[in-house]
Amino acid sequence: MTTLRRQLSSPLQLMAIATAGLILLPLGYVTLLAVTADPAVWSRLWATRIPELLWNTISLAGSVAVLTLILGVTTAWLVVRFDFPGRRLWEAALILPLAMPTYVLAYVYTYLLGFGGPVELAWQIWAGPQSRIVSPQSFWGTTLVMALDTFPFVYLLTRTALLSLNVSFEEVARVSGVSRMMTLWRVTLPLMRPSIAAGVALVILYVVSDFGAVSLLRYQTLTYAVFQQMTGRSDNTAASILSVLLVVLALLFLVTERWFRQRSRFYQTTGRYRAPQRIPCRWIGALSITALLGGIVAMSFGVPAYLLVKWSLSPEALAIIDSRFYGFIWNSALLAAAAATAGVLIGLPLAYLASRRPTLLNLGCLQAAYAGYVLPGPVAALAVLVLCLKLTPIFYGTVLLLIVAYVIHFLPAGLQSLEPALQQITPNLEEVARTLGLGVRDTWRRVTLPLVRNGFIVAWVLMFLQTMKELPATLLLRPVGFDTLAIRVWLEASEEYFQLAAPSALLIVLLSLPALWLLVSKDWRSA
Amino acid sequence: MTSFNIRHRTGAASAGRRLALAMLTACSLALSLSLCIPTASPAADKLTVYSGRSERLIKPVFDAFTAKTGIQIELLSSGTTELVNRLKAEGDRTPADLLLTNDAGSLELARGAGLLRPLNMREVERAIPSQFRAADNSWVGLSGRFWIIVYNTTMVKPGQVTSLFDLADPQWKDKIAIPNSGSEYLQAGVSVIRATHGDDKTKQFLTGLRDNAGSQVYQKSSQIVDAVAKGQVAMGIVNHYYVYRHLATQPAAPVAVLMPDQKEGGMGAIMNVTGIGITKSSTHADNAKLLIEFLVAQAGQKMFADLDKEYPLHPEVKADPALVDRKSFRAALVPLTKLAELREPTLTLIEQVGLR
Repeated sequence: MTTLRRQLSSPLQLMAIATAGLILLPLGYVTLLAVTADPAVWSRLWATRIPELLWNTISLAGSVAVLTLILGVTTAWLVVRFDFPGRRLWEAALILPLAMPTYVLAYVYTYLLGFGGPVELAWQIWAGPQSRIVSPQSFWGTTLVMALDTFPFVYLLTRTALLSLNVSFEEVARVSGVSRMMTLWRVTLPLMRPSIAAGVALVILYVVSDFGAVSLLRYQTLTYAVFQQMTGRSDNTAASILSVLLVVLALLFLVTERWFRQRSRFYQTTGRYRAPQRIPCRWIGALSITALLGGIVAMSFGVPAYLLVKWSLSPEALAIIDSRFYGFIWNSALLAAAAATAGVLIGLPLAYLASRRPTLLNLGCLQAAYAGYVLPGPVAALAVLVLCLKLTPIFYGTVLLLIVAYVIHFLPAGLQSLEPALQQITPNLEEVARTLGLGVRDTWRRVTLPLVRNGFIVAWVLMFLQTMKELPATLLLRPVGFDTLAIRVWLEASEEYFQLAAPSALLIVLLSLPALWLLVSKDWRSA
Repeated sequence: MTSFNIRHRTGAASAGRRLALAMLTACSLALSLSLCIPTASPAADKLTVYSGRSERLIKPVFDAFTAKTGIQIELLSSGTTELVNRLKAEGDRTPADLLLTNDAGSLELARGAGLLRPLNMREVERAIPSQFRAADNSWVGLSGRFWIIVYNTTMVKPGQVTSLFDLADPQWKDKIAIPNSGSEYLQAGVSVIRATHGDDKTKQFLTGLRDNAGSQVYQKSSQIVDAVAKGQVAMGIVNHYYVYRHLATQPAAPVAVLMPDQKEGGMGAIMNVTGIGITKSSTHADNAKLLIEFLVAQAGQKMFADLDKEYPLHPEVKADPALVDRKSFRAALVPLTKLAELREPTLTLIEQVGLR
């Protein structure tokens, strides 16, 4: 009892609880709506929509997870362990898709792979005029678009893990006569498992909560259905029922991921660290690696970016670039920076407490924060709006409301990298520093902060990028006259004015690039 | 903030306290920064319009109004039902002065929810016939739009299809494109069919339509017209003006318009209107009235009709000559004001059938 009281009296603890509360509030509101719904609505949805939506959502998440796992781990492995000309270039280029909003990629692929599009025409020259390619508006089309856009999550985390992996583990295995493949399978991969699992979890949560791409590709997932229910009906009961299902689904994914991670915890010891030797490639090896990486980067970034530039330079597109347009740029950059900063600041106590004092309460707070990600954007927005009007009407119609919704929605993306950053340093390091006579503040400044800084920067960048691209919550909560670039892309593109949408889309990409540069410009090992 | 006054025993907690303090300071800085950002501020010569129409179809008309009167217009473009929901949630605090939608049912719902104010405007009563207005003039129709069948001229022979119900025939399996179940115009259309033919026949029709459409369920009419023009599907249900907009940019496209259900005793084409109303809590009602006056006057109606390719509701304003002559076809007889009360059971039926 006394421990509990002491815990509760800590301000850090109170902040964590307050944050968890803030995030759980919208969730609670939606759940309340769902459980108090007329059973007739439940049974109607069960009989009609739910089985299809559940199956669509789960199978899409599964197929994208498998594809991103393959793409992400392979690419990370190639750029970290092999030496070939242009390696550093590809190392950076593989992160570029993170700057490309999924809905933009979806649009570009609708054009490229669509009925009568360039790819189909090329295919028909070879295979005959009546042959069809796989439609982008299909399960496989959606899988492709989502995977191309999200594999950098896996790549990024796997690469960081590979880089900071102590090669002596592998050497011990090799010296003991284990083959190279078996070493990879039995030593390296298990060591990287927490990072890979974190990356895939990020991907799955992204897919499950994505609204923009699935709606453009007309692939019915739960989130898309929630948005349809919300914007197509004047009563949100059905939307809240579907949302609750979505939350349960995502929680299941998270519990699974946690289980994976919890079963293996490795501490990095800094002293005896050595980077692995890169395997030099002969020209044929270098060529095939370059072709593979080049193909992946072209499909996920190069070709779409080229089309955006081409469309942006069309006279129709150039005509809309005026002072109003510059306002959209400013709005987007400001919102994304504010939300990312707030997210890191709010996420820190949660991640810190859960890793340093993993009590049930602290772990619970952390899990509560993760729940925000699975609350689909439109539902989070509606809950935030209604709660704000009830509790703090003075904030209504301000940008603050949008930022609250963003933080609720994207905090988990930040936590995914804050948490491992804090977990990787053994608490012993801090304790040793303290025994050696370093004060609390100095321990933080000289030991903890430098070690976790990289994780923080990654967290900030990830949240910045995601806020920049966010769509449904912005659609529902933006103050009048406060459009962002994402909104512009949406308004123009959903009316098929694709060339008019291109400048905004291109700018989202360009504004995201400096943030991405932060991710790759440093050698993250030397903290 | 009281938490900072609590004393701590351990060093770790004190580190935590400093950290928390630093973070709270930074947080409040960030928040106050964001609060300083000016958002739409109420000014005497400014109007805020929530618009369920795409910006491109309405902004030029508003720009003309601003040029004439000096009154600035802040535009929030979004989905119609979404905006009605937003108005409901905002209640008295809404910044909106006017609600513009592409569906009379939504306007009628807003009126029923007490979101709009009744108008007593002679200009409106003179310009717009009463069947296109709310009983108390809480909303006013601006232009008419019809549910038509768009077909690919290389895939469908004239006379092969005459009624919406023909689209449910199994011979068109995978050849039909339809709007998604969230679109107001689908909801309004199905409401009219229900009111004319009853639930059973409507359900049968929707089931056939669902099977024939398969995954060809679109969010936007323009996408449906595009799919028909490319020959991806043979036919689709859309609002008429999307076809004319498509033909305006691509005159050679193999698409044509078919006015459905015109046979003796048939239902007639399903009509809906774009309309506008002043919100109950608007503080700029005089300016808002000026805008409505502008929109219903002949010049405004002409501009609106030319821009959108819809049918003007002012009896003396002519529609775009490219359109099917309004006098050459009949409209269904269900009054627009009934669309709201019909909607809820329609939604249930749509869901029962399992339309996407």
